[in-house]
Amino acid sequence: MSELEFVSPVASGPLSAAGGGISLEDVSDRTKVLVRAGRDTAAGTHLKVTYGRSRRRRDGALICGSRPDEWTLLADPGQGTELLASLPDEGFVSVVDITHGRAMFRLSGLDTVGVLAKVCNIDLTDDMTPDGAVFSGSVAKVTCDLVRNDLADRRSYLVSCERSFGAYLFAAIADACSEFGIDVPADLTIH
Amino acid sequence: MIVVPCPNCGPRNSSDLRNAGEVAPRPDPETASLTEWRSYLYLRENPAGWVTETWYCRSGCRRYFTIERNTATNEIRESENS
Ligand SMILES: [Zn+2]
Repeated sequence: MSELEFVSPVASGPLSAAGGGISLEDVSDRTKVLVRAGRDTAAGTHLKVTYGRSRRRRDGALICGSRPDEWTLLADPGQGTELLASLPDEGFVSVVDITHGRAMFRLSGLDTVGVLAKVCNIDLTDDMTPDGAVFSGSVAKVTCDLVRNDLADRRSYLVSCERSFGAYLFAAIADACSEFGIDVPADLTIH
Repeated sequence: MIVVPCPNCGPRNSSDLRNAGEVAPRPDPETASLTEWRSYLYLRENPAGWVTETWYCRSGCRRYFTIERNTATNEIRESENS
């Protein structure tokens, strides 16, 4: 099966603050696969991580325990077919490629906590949500799945939501970033 | 703000959850009288004090769970999956 060409709901390129404290990038084109399975199925055993945690598989896919008995796999663009084929589907298991149904952004830098605190009421301290943590909550009034996925030297979060909210949410997070030095392009408006 | 402890997600702002109301035992639909059925559907104790109620973790794990909450003080003591 050939991969469909991905069209992002977000028209903007990456935004970053001059001082490097915060950057916001649309990464909606990453492959996203949703797995619902009992923990005692072959898929559940293979995926292993519990709700609220994530781990990197050997092929580079990030396995996120996004809800009890539910996992989201994130990988580079165009990996849908490979990811689907890599998962055992015997038993009460459902595996769906949701790449085109979700928008996803990467928010990175020292000021991420300050930005997210403006639009999200989850506790982002290291005690509650350390690197690797997976959680869901309201971000600018949109229900989102979040993964704390630090890069080599920077705190970083992946924020994903329903595709139809993507353009709004990108603009809303960019707006929250403006206080931290990001110049928001005039066409990115939420009003 | 009320902080509600979800058994899966931990303490969460109640605005991320939905209160699904007092727990009421469901009568057997085969044998319940109309009065019993109506009282199960519509009537609640609504005390100013301790109540066992169901909450839905809307923005988090999307599971239902029960807590014991004091409606006068919002103190919460027990929390478990439904
Ligand atoms: Zn929850």
